Amino acid sequence: MADIKFNEANQKKFEQLLKRYPQKRAAMLPTLWLAQEQYGWLSPEVMTYVGGLLEVPPSKVYEVATFYTMFHLQPVGKYHFQVCRTLSCQLRGAEGITAQLKKRFGIGIGQTSEDGRFTLTEVECLGSCGTAPMLQLNDDYHEDLTEAKLDQLIESLE
Amino acid sequence: MDVMEAKVLTKNFGVKDSHTLPVYESTGGYNVLKRLFSMKPEEVIEEVKKSGLRGRGGAGFPTGLKWSFVPKDSPKPKYLCVNADESEPGTFKDRYLMELDPHRLIEGIIVCSYAIDCHQSYIYIRGEFVFPKERLEQAIAEAYAKGYLGKNILGSGYDLELTVHRGAGAYICGEETALLNSLEGLRGMPRLKPPFPAVVGLFGCPTVVNNVETLSALPFILGEGPEAYRKFGTEKSPGTKMFSVSGHVVRPGNYEIPLGYSLKKLIEEDCGGMKDGKALKAVIPGGSSVPVLPAKDAMEVNLDYESLAEKGSMLGSGGVIVMDETTCMVKTLTNLAHFYAHESCGQCSPCREGTGWAHKILKRMLAGEGRAGDLETLHRIADNMAGKTICVLADALAMPIWSYLKHFRSEFEAYIEK
Amino acid sequence: MPKLTIDGKEIEVADGTTVFEAARQADISIPHFCYHPKLSIAGNCRMCLVDIEKMPKPAISCNTVANEGMVVNTKTEKVKELQKSVLEFILINHPIDCPVCDQAGECKLQEFYMDYTMTDSEFHEEKVKKPKKVDLGPNVMLDDERCILCSRCIRFCDEITHTSELCFSERGDRSTLTTFPGKQLDNKYSLNTVDICPVGALTSKPFRFQKRVWFLKHVPSVCSGCATGCNIYMDYDDGKVWRYRTRDNESVNQCWTCDAGRLSYPLHNEKRVTRPMVRKNGVLEYSTISDALGEIARALSSLGGDEAVLVGSAQESNENNMALKKFGQTCQIKDLQYSAKPKDDADADNFLIKADKNPNRAGVQHLGYQEFHGGIGVKVVLALEGFSETHLSQLREEGPVAFILLATHLGPETELADVVLPAATFGEQEGSFTNFQNRVQKFEAALIPQGMVLPAWKWLEKIAQELKQPLQLSAEALLQEGFGLKFADLGTEGKILESKN
Repeated sequence: MADIKFNEANQKKFEQLLKRYPQKRAAMLPTLWLAQEQYGWLSPEVMTYVGGLLEVPPSKVYEVATFYTMFHLQPVGKYHFQVCRTLSCQLRGAEGITAQLKKRFGIGIGQTSEDGRFTLTEVECLGSCGTAPMLQLNDDYHEDLTEAKLDQLIESLE
Repeated sequence: MDVMEAKVLTKNFGVKDSHTLPVYESTGGYNVLKRLFSMKPEEVIEEVKKSGLRGRGGAGFPTGLKWSFVPKDSPKPKYLCVNADESEPGTFKDRYLMELDPHRLIEGIIVCSYAIDCHQSYIYIRGEFVFPKERLEQAIAEAYAKGYLGKNILGSGYDLELTVHRGAGAYICGEETALLNSLEGLRGMPRLKPPFPAVVGLFGCPTVVNNVETLSALPFILGEGPEAYRKFGTEKSPGTKMFSVSGHVVRPGNYEIPLGYSLKKLIEEDCGGMKDGKALKAVIPGGSSVPVLPAKDAMEVNLDYESLAEKGSMLGSGGVIVMDETTCMVKTLTNLAHFYAHESCGQCSPCREGTGWAHKILKRMLAGEGRAGDLETLHRIADNMAGKTICVLADALAMPIWSYLKHFRSEFEAYIEK
Repeated sequence: MPKLTIDGKEIEVADGTTVFEAARQADISIPHFCYHPKLSIAGNCRMCLVDIEKMPKPAISCNTVANEGMVVNTKTEKVKELQKSVLEFILINHPIDCPVCDQAGECKLQEFYMDYTMTDSEFHEEKVKKPKKVDLGPNVMLDDERCILCSRCIRFCDEITHTSELCFSERGDRSTLTTFPGKQLDNKYSLNTVDICPVGALTSKPFRFQKRVWFLKHVPSVCSGCATGCNIYMDYDDGKVWRYRTRDNESVNQCWTCDAGRLSYPLHNEKRVTRPMVRKNGVLEYSTISDALGEIARALSSLGGDEAVLVGSAQESNENNMALKKFGQTCQIKDLQYSAKPKDDADADNFLIKADKNPNRAGVQHLGYQEFHGGIGVKVVLALEGFSETHLSQLREEGPVAFILLATHLGPETELADVVLPAATFGEQEGSFTNFQNRVQKFEAALIPQGMVLPAWKWLEKIAQELKQPLQLSAEALLQEGFGLKFADLGTEGKILESKN
């Protein structure tokens, strides 16, 4: 793997981050976020790099990265569909949304399509229960989903 | 009292560009600060105590009292951590408070920080809330530019830094000590108590952790006075509260209502009644962790701390999940058990093992392989994990288990082979 | 100094004492997994829950400070039910593979199951699958399915060795003990994690599948790996030492031992000298005891006292070195030198591992021996084993008239010797070492010396006899004469020598 290093913009952001905390280690989550933004996922090399920046042993980066569900320890597709599966969404048809995506992409939950474009995961409550069913596509919420709306969303993707 | 009058938190929700500073200022925003800086911190705490404001995150602890536990003579820095980790299933109020009125929250943060002598505050926002985070960051930048944050706020001599800290996907970080660990760059594991955060909190310093909604009520309380706040709600549960209604109603959404408001009225009038004209079966009134109410109890109860306790449930975070007659209670409880098993941090044996075990039993029952004794085992798991652990995540599954088995036992029995 | 009542016993404890420690002081044991007196409190296993009157919920005794007037119950039916239920949770995902588990026989899960449960499990679901046979590092194997996630090993690596190799990944019941991907648990104290693992998750690679622990007998002993003299138990059976285990001594090693020391036990079993040997025509050959003693007597009796050198050893016990000194007094030999293994500064740390790799340098020095300096060209050397490479090359260069060695092991030393007598290791005799603190620490005999092996002091008795010199020795008397101590004085913590000035 090529040298792991923040690009210039992220390096600046990282330096700004450190000023916000009295301890370097507190910048763990934001630094992992920066790293994931830059590399797409957190490889062992990236976690080692983050540990070095924050002066924390790599194991203490790893235990954090694996605790939180939004950090990717494996590469994910360009479009990451995260369907909320918790109660309010289930009551309003989340299972149908998941089934539609499975069928459409030909993948199961936790899988990435062969072309590397789509990853499907089920996630727990996203705090969008009033607009159920819903999913998060990469960073964005898509709410009040119907079969037609979901189709439209998928069509709109490059 | 009519719902429309009781607007403490949401009065700007309908206003165009309500998230921007000019709009907030035009509705009287940040006016409270002048008064705030003329008061002594103890006086601020006193006013908040008088208002009867209680923590709106779920635990309902009196806010002013919580602040008063921060040792005034401590030489250490004090911190305010804003709990914006809103993750309790059925709850989506803080998200809208941050998206639609971030300055109200910031003003509330300034009030609390001033009262506890805090000069660095963190907003811990759940990782999935990317848009609310952007809104908050924009608002914070505006507030810094206008001198509401930073050094010497409005010439008062008081400094406050405010930082948004993004979580990364863990329900448990809504527990205040797990939040502190997460903020410190650790796994989100709840801490042993004592010591309590007011004394040993973030970075080992005195810390207050308050929910977004709690803090958003402060500009009103300081601006209009505690008496004005107490005009809403009941004697024992004063003020207004956000209720997030989801599930089988015509108009799900957020409703700010005075405490003591009728749940029946909320569902039938405000939310437009049951979706597709179905009959009501059950309501979880305060987020998925609180005991479920069967329709009869739900139709009788008022939404305040005391009335809900009388019916054997809790106000919690105000996440009202409405279920109609077609709902399978075994399936919904299985869904919740999956949630808690997935979200248990895993440190305490009873919670780590008990939540997973309960989920596996329910899943098996749902698959048609219920066994004699399953319900007794489920009940025993709930008994044995609740109250035996560092935090209350185990209790948060035990309460649904007990209440589902109590109110809907025959449905569960039907899943067990005779 | 709060007074509290635990199970009806009233006791007074120091301020800040936890209920758990207070109970321990009152000889009341509370079951536990995650608590360890030398590590920070995790409070995660929940096994030490007790009932404290006037408290709304059961409290973990490890994190509850004892207060004046507290009334604590640890043995009531209510508490037993609590403990039983916690144990049930801990066991549901445990593989219960005791027949193939090295921890069987010294497993807290097994013990507490016998104490609290003794019923069939009501868990009918599929257990969580986790990695098994994880090669964690050079000395430690991990079975993640057996791990109860108490975090003792993690805290050990964070707080004691400060190496932080271990962590949990994932969360909930998927939580898994692991190292960073591609890294190993490779520190000089890694086997302590095996000691403190309350279950069979972490096992010692060298001891893995070697022996069922219930066949092992043990004696208190002292590690001979360096000048620290960590207190150990020597576990033995079938005439063999199978492992060392840490023995607590707050003043020396607390409850830890380094891997190198702990793994030095094969010295009792391997490459042993079991019969006397005499060099004939340049070749070392086995001989009878009487031939060997005869050779030695011939070499020594033709000489005046200043034509012989006695070389004690910093590797050998106080008693054997004292015996050699006594032998010198009897035979008027005054040149007392001692051999020692070389220092290893690179290996030393600020914890337990000393650069001085000798367990008894302070002891030989106390007896007046000078470190080996040679000057033996035309002399006869009678020595205990323990020469360094440097010493040996000097010996080789100077070429003594005769080199008589009381040896435990075959090796470069015996290759140079003219006469070799088979000496017992410290596992085969009672004796003591004096560590770097000048602390005299006792070890007991685990094994009966095999073949013709005898403790060095017994050989010296025999040599004296052969020389027609009166010498009556015993380990007890040697310790008394050389150090002014009795074995009984040494207790379990040892005894610091009075300063000689």
